[in-house]
Amino acid sequence: MKKIERLLVANRGVSAVRVMHTCRDRKIPTTAVYSTPDRLGHHVVMADRAVHIGEAPPAESYLNMENVLRAAFETGSDAIHPGWGFLAENGDFAQMVQDEGLIWVGPPPGVIRSMGDKAHARQMAQRAGVPTIPGRENVTTSEEALDWIRKAGIEYPIMIKAASGGGGRGLVRVDRAKDLEQALSQASSEAEKAFGSGTLILEKFIQNARHIEVQILGDQHGNVVHLYERECSIQRRNQKVIEESPSPSLSEDLRQEICGKAVALMREIDYQSAGTVEFIFDQSAGSYYFLEVNTRLQVEHGLTELTTGYDLVGLMLDVAEGKPLGFSQDDVKPNRWAMEVRLNAEDPETFGPSFGTITRLRTPDGPNLRIATGVYHGASVPPYYDSLLMLIMSAGHNREDALNVMDRALGRSLRVEGVKTLKPLLMSIIRHPAFRAGDFSTRFIDDNLQDLVKAFREPSTEDELLKIAKYLAEVSALGPRSWI
Amino acid sequence: MSDRTVFRPGMTPAEIIRKVRALPGVAITSTGMRDAGQSDFKNRLRIHDQATLAPHYDRMNLFSAEVHGGARWHVGILNRRESPFEETAILRERMPSVLLQTLIRETSLWGYRPYPRNVIEYVVSKVDIDVWRCFSFLNDVRNMRTICEVVMERGLLFEPAVSFTQADWATNDYYLGVVDDMVDLCGGVEEVVLCIKDMAGVGSPERIRELVDAILQKYPEAVVQYHRHSTDGLALPALLAAAQAGAKLLDAQEDSLTRFYGQAPILSLHAYLEEAGIPVLLNRPEAEAAVQKARDWVRQYGWAESPFKGFDHNVVQHRMPGGAFPSSFEQAERGGFLHLMPQILQVMSLYNRIVHYFDVTPGSQMTWVTCSGTVNRYAKEFGLTGVNRLIALLKKFTEEVDQDLDRLAPEEREELMEFFVTAPGDFKNLILGGYGRLPAGWPADWVYQSAFGDQWQENLARRIGDSPLDALEDEDLDGLREDLAAKLGWHPSEEEFILFLMHPKDTVEMIEFREEYGESSIVLPTNVWHSGLPRPGDKVDFQMRDKPHTVEMVSVGDEYDGYVPVVLRINNQAKVFTVETPRVVKAEIRMAKATNEVGSPITGSVWRMGNPKRGDIAVGDIVHEGEEIANIEAMKMENVIAAPINGRIAEICIGLNEPVIENQLLFVLEEDGG
Repeated sequence: MKKIERLLVANRGVSAVRVMHTCRDRKIPTTAVYSTPDRLGHHVVMADRAVHIGEAPPAESYLNMENVLRAAFETGSDAIHPGWGFLAENGDFAQMVQDEGLIWVGPPPGVIRSMGDKAHARQMAQRAGVPTIPGRENVTTSEEALDWIRKAGIEYPIMIKAASGGGGRGLVRVDRAKDLEQALSQASSEAEKAFGSGTLILEKFIQNARHIEVQILGDQHGNVVHLYERECSIQRRNQKVIEESPSPSLSEDLRQEICGKAVALMREIDYQSAGTVEFIFDQSAGSYYFLEVNTRLQVEHGLTELTTGYDLVGLMLDVAEGKPLGFSQDDVKPNRWAMEVRLNAEDPETFGPSFGTITRLRTPDGPNLRIATGVYHGASVPPYYDSLLMLIMSAGHNREDALNVMDRALGRSLRVEGVKTLKPLLMSIIRHPAFRAGDFSTRFIDDNLQDLVKAFREPSTEDELLKIAKYLAEVSALGPRSWI
Repeated sequence: MSDRTVFRPGMTPAEIIRKVRALPGVAITSTGMRDAGQSDFKNRLRIHDQATLAPHYDRMNLFSAEVHGGARWHVGILNRRESPFEETAILRERMPSVLLQTLIRETSLWGYRPYPRNVIEYVVSKVDIDVWRCFSFLNDVRNMRTICEVVMERGLLFEPAVSFTQADWATNDYYLGVVDDMVDLCGGVEEVVLCIKDMAGVGSPERIRELVDAILQKYPEAVVQYHRHSTDGLALPALLAAAQAGAKLLDAQEDSLTRFYGQAPILSLHAYLEEAGIPVLLNRPEAEAAVQKARDWVRQYGWAESPFKGFDHNVVQHRMPGGAFPSSFEQAERGGFLHLMPQILQVMSLYNRIVHYFDVTPGSQMTWVTCSGTVNRYAKEFGLTGVNRLIALLKKFTEEVDQDLDRLAPEEREELMEFFVTAPGDFKNLILGGYGRLPAGWPADWVYQSAFGDQWQENLARRIGDSPLDALEDEDLDGLREDLAAKLGWHPSEEEFILFLMHPKDTVEMIEFREEYGESSIVLPTNVWHSGLPRPGDKVDFQMRDKPHTVEMVSVGDEYDGYVPVVLRINNQAKVFTVETPRVVKAEIRMAKATNEVGSPITGSVWRMGNPKRGDIAVGDIVHEGEEIANIEAMKMENVIAAPINGRIAEICIGLNEPVIENQLLFVLEEDGG
């Protein structure tokens, strides 16, 4: 059994900071890597050492495998945790890490590769007895696509996915036959750019679907358990923005069934470390379909940590060191409801990215809250990367309690100035009657956008005081106002 | 309290009038919170300070406190950044037993243009004021009908005011005619106060005695109030004369706020009248306390005081109202023509013999713009000699030749005909009857000829004598409310909407200011509101939203690139502000405007120029409509930038990997063959 002496986190922002927190708990020194604009990033500040690995474009820095490895050697790091995003689901990189004699904190390279191939993953799911969406693999031309649509009698809309994609990228929905060609080329190009492969999968599109996923943990000794499900149906542009656990839409029987299927699939592929099996849930039909396996830690893993009490990053480190999980399925007893919102630096109406300097940051606090932030007051938000600024998680005895805590956190406490954030939209969603009633699908934001964008004006005394201070700063610096 | 307040909100007008009649002497309206501040401090006295007088007012046994209306309204929005609604709410809370009084213009209310009936009804029905002093700058009583109706129907006290001046045409008979109209309008004198509004301070004591006497001889039951400015230096004797003639209500202000153009000092007035045997309803110790209290803060307003110091008995010639004095001088100072003020005042004194109306809003603005504009024009073209020539000409015309054009030399006539050429549109509207009837008849034809040139006869034919109340069409209030909602981005409150009806542009600016700077204008002490915290260690303690706060200056740094860093400690926590100076040079981002300019559909970054088929793209390249010429990535999504036309790349405005904002100019194309 190997012991991790120094861990390099091959990531930035919230993801890197999250991993470093557990390292601090365990007194494991950390190494950060950073691109030029991230020189004073939060993850750099938090790490024990930091190494520059290239310029702003991800391909030159956070996706630059050689530079990341060099940073590990330079700093004497003996393990690499990839966080989520960037190299987290890159089997070649995982292989390189292991070939260099370092510990890879994640599933085995072969598992990453096989699940990264969506077509193969579908086959594995089918082999494990997990229902899959009617679809067609390895599509490269529109003729192939049209042929399948005709022969299988598929009705629009259909979904085009990057075979090696994930995280909602490289997904294009097609509503009409005439859009197919353009959509195929766009999806292929995005897939090529994001994942290095333009191969596509076509699937029937499930209307009014809900997104449910099961958290899995496996060790090197053949133990595979699930930590129950999360629901991630609130999405904009196929990217999750609000998640919760447990899912409000599953019956207890169905919940056990889905979790059982997820474990079956992950046993089939000999999964190790933390991973997630994602499903599409057709609530009206009561049926669920395999979507994909995420062979990494997920953004929303904190929900599971809140409901079960386990530290998933800690368990990933244990598994990477070769330790057994140390608990069985029966030991997993979720006892709370947890909600998460993703505070992205985006325009809450157009979802256009917003970047700049954080001129004010007030993070929520108080009972039943967990905050994971990737920025600090004064930090800059560069335009090159993911727009996630902060994860805000709330917990409660039941869903309503958790929602009330979230309302307090967003409405009364959270303040971000300098960049636009999704906060007004998130506030509107958690106060929306349909959302509160648990009645929603992945189309919720699109369907209710008009309702949701009504701006909230909920100023606090602190906000008002800062306005007065701003006036004082200006008058003191510039002299009496000309209009006075 | 031994001397319980006699006049209180909630009393019916009839009850108030009965109590005034029963007074052995006189009662006082304090103008300390409105007209006094207007006349000597350009309306800059803030509610933050004025509210400190309120507890004393509450026990002072005043008839009323004029706290609202006139130009205080507009200046509040424009310069003090306080809403009159906030002020009234604060005062109601701190002096609940005082009648709050406003000054309102008969059709232009607290704005500057005549409003139609429905706007007047709407606004007057929604403002929390007990005593409504209403005047017409034309003494056209017909124009007061709507306000009168709404106020009396609300059970509040209506106080029609006779605009007073001293002129050959302004005889007792003339004024009694105006008073007759008022008595008719109000259905008698049982429920109203009749006011003589001497807004320039020109009534000589004997003239005032005569006029009050004449009114009371005709209407012995009437309650008469005399409102007077001090400009000519004769306020106290004139007020005594009015009281001796039977006026029961007089206006006064804190002695410590008295300068030159406002009302008489309250303690002096009290002493002077009592010595003359006229009892004054006043809790003198409280009045003394208020006078003393005002001293605590009035020295912070040196910057707001009128630059023209001292009494001015020549006001009887030029008749500039006390309320317009400081603002006119301020404009002259800002416009760089303060040295021309003696000439401007002289021209005003001659001008008002040619066109007769009262120099009070909106008339005072017309007079000011016309006279100061003409004098400036002469000064620029002909120097001071030219200005003096103009004055001599006007003098000759009004004093020597009885305003008979034929008795002027041809070149003089020609010069005089130029006088109204540059008169403002409001003046033209006035002489066409847009505001109502003029008090002493329409001006002579040559005035129209001068103002309208060749079209003067057509214009004259359009002249009407109707009240604007009858002439103006109702306005679409719901539509106006939607306009404001669109400007603000939220649905306005009733109060925001009323502010907007009076002063549309300035109201939006004030609301934007308050959005950005919060309650600064309400909670900060005046020296800090005016000058900030200029030195390190300066600090300000204040109360906001029922909690204590402290802001302390740590440092104002050196300017760099047009920015000044300021560090403040806000409730013990330091925060850096980067203050933008006017010297900031902002990198200009060009936006796509024309059809041949290609803009970014989204905020993102340029990750590809050209397209994979053709590769990169350069100036001069030919592109086809619909062809991809660049690709913008935002949120990991690609956005194709397609050529909108067949053409040639004339200019490339961005580079690879550069961030762009929505609608930022990317390419300029020129049409093929173009």
